[in-house]
Amino acid sequence: MALLPMFGQSIGSTRINTDEIKHKINQAASGIKTMQCDFVQTKHLKMLNDKLVSKGKMYYQKSDKLRWEYVSPYAYTFILNADKVLLKNQKRNDVIDVNQNKVFKEIARIMMNTVTGNCLTDDKSFKTTLTTTSTEWIATLIPQRKDMKGMFQKIILHFSKQKGMVTQVELMEKNGDKTLIELKNTKQNETLDAKLFAVH
Amino acid sequence: MQSCLLFISLLLSVLTSRLYAQTTFPADGESIRYTAYIEHRINTEKHGYVSGICILHRDGDTVHGSLFNEFGITALDFTYHLEKKKVKLHTVMPMMNKWYIRKVLRKDLRQLMTGLQNGETTWKDERYHIEYQLTPLL
Repeated sequence: MALLPMFGQSIGSTRINTDEIKHKINQAASGIKTMQCDFVQTKHLKMLNDKLVSKGKMYYQKSDKLRWEYVSPYAYTFILNADKVLLKNQKRNDVIDVNQNKVFKEIARIMMNTVTGNCLTDDKSFKTTLTTTSTEWIATLIPQRKDMKGMFQKIILHFSKQKGMVTQVELMEKNGDKTLIELKNTKQNETLDAKLFAVH
Repeated sequence: MQSCLLFISLLLSVLTSRLYAQTTFPADGESIRYTAYIEHRINTEKHGYVSGICILHRDGDTVHGSLFNEFGITALDFTYHLEKKKVKLHTVMPMMNKWYIRKVLRKDLRQLMTGLQNGETTWKDERYHIEYQLTPLL
């Protein structure tokens, strides 16, 4: 039993091997060339005892292209293409070089790694623990970097065992707010129009 | 006849401005959601901006406010006391959590809240060249 923490965790009656799960998730992620889905984002505000539900579409193309588009109740698009980010709202379009903007470099890295599950192996940024249910692997990420620690208590990722990919992301903030992002109607490895990732 | 038309015109303008004021600031027990836009600009040059969502909830003399970006990450949590016209900041995101920024935010949010009560959705801080804009979400 003393060796248990080194090799895995015991959750209820299910003993799990964290390295094995990480390997399975990474294996599934490596097979994803493109991904598209609808998402529902629910922001729970502790102080206001209220919530805001936003909806949109996400497109990913290996290895450095991501389009995150909100369609309701507001229009906002975030496109990451290599080292460029396009931010589009009702007022303006801005193209940012992530290498010259530390904040956006961090946002882009987190979004991409969360979608692909790569953040599980990012030991410098997060301390990760894994639990399991009959249908899901659940990864709890505790931020280790100062800038991330200031904002998030933890980030929880839910992976479908069947698909080996992220289905839900929970962002738990220091002020008690929580944002839940559910990825739905996921399609993998279908051809995506290059225009979706245009940053001009 | 002319004075009658003038009276009706004045009455309508007062009524519509009151209606507009009511829809830009929450009544007691109500919440209003806004798109939020904060821009730092000197002369015509834009130095940076933050966009997102703001929710205000009024509970008697107190308005609770939260401002967060489109991804849901909180930038500010605050309360505004209508009688005292005073803003208290509860949460400020780490990159803005400096005493001199908090001081400017408190003053500007107070002006923004006062203006919203009168239907004014924009506040310009001429000293620090910051423009705040809240547009009610339909």
